[in-house]
Amino acid sequence: MVDPLISSLKVAASGLSAQSERLRVVTENMANAQSTGNTPGADPYRRKTITFTAELDRVTGARAVEVSSISTDKSPFRIEYMPGHEAADENGYVKMPNVNMLIEMADMREANRSYEANLQSIKQARELISMTIDLMRNQ
Amino acid sequence: MQPVNLFELASQKAKWLAVRQTAVSSNIANANTPGYAAVDVQPFEAVLDQKTVSLRATHERHLASADSSTGFPVRQSNDSVPIMPSGNTVTLENELMKQGEVQRDMELNTAIVKAFHRMLLMTTKG
Repeated sequence: MVDPLISSLKVAASGLSAQSERLRVVTENMANAQSTGNTPGADPYRRKTITFTAELDRVTGARAVEVSSISTDKSPFRIEYMPGHEAADENGYVKMPNVNMLIEMADMREANRSYEANLQSIKQARELISMTIDLMRNQ
Repeated sequence: MQPVNLFELASQKAKWLAVRQTAVSSNIANANTPGYAAVDVQPFEAVLDQKTVSLRATHERHLASADSSTGFPVRQSNDSVPIMPSGNTVTLENELMKQGEVQRDMELNTAIVKAFHRMLLMTTKG
């Protein structure tokens, strides 16, 4: 039998890694918000999305979280008029990435919040464990 | 020679609290998982009353379920309703409240065990 408190630490750690993966994707999107192609009419950077899935640990019955897929956002690109740009088509329009800074910021805040909640549950599990160990101290 | 099985009761409660902490951790970890339903462990009173019927392994090929390893069944909590468009039923605030409850209960539990232990020591030392 696996100690439930230890498995709770593992579950929270899986949450931490999932949220940090999400933060990586958000950062990638923000960093590439202006990345265009370099041939006329070429497609620019396409925004990435991340999805999670609950993974059941059959030994402990706890449900850890895992990244199920990192896919791309299919929404249309922004079009800007920049005739001098190397990626401009014959009419002078350049396709810009479909990254919306507001959405990325909101996503980042949510990832941050979830990361903090997971940290909190690790702290809590550690406290419960040390409370139990304290029973063995000389009183 | 044990009129009050307090140590037994306290250790059962500690195990139950550990299982609950795991359930809360799973909920928090899956707070952004689409379609995830929040879980909670059965109330301790119900566990004490032995109202649940658990599966028994009567053959060596039977696999032990996760419930039987801890003895406390974890179920989908029915007090939560889907609020997210993704079908996720976890509310972080509720989960943090539950964590606080677990912490307080664990403190009370260990304090009771300590007190009882002191009483036993008092009797043996004279």
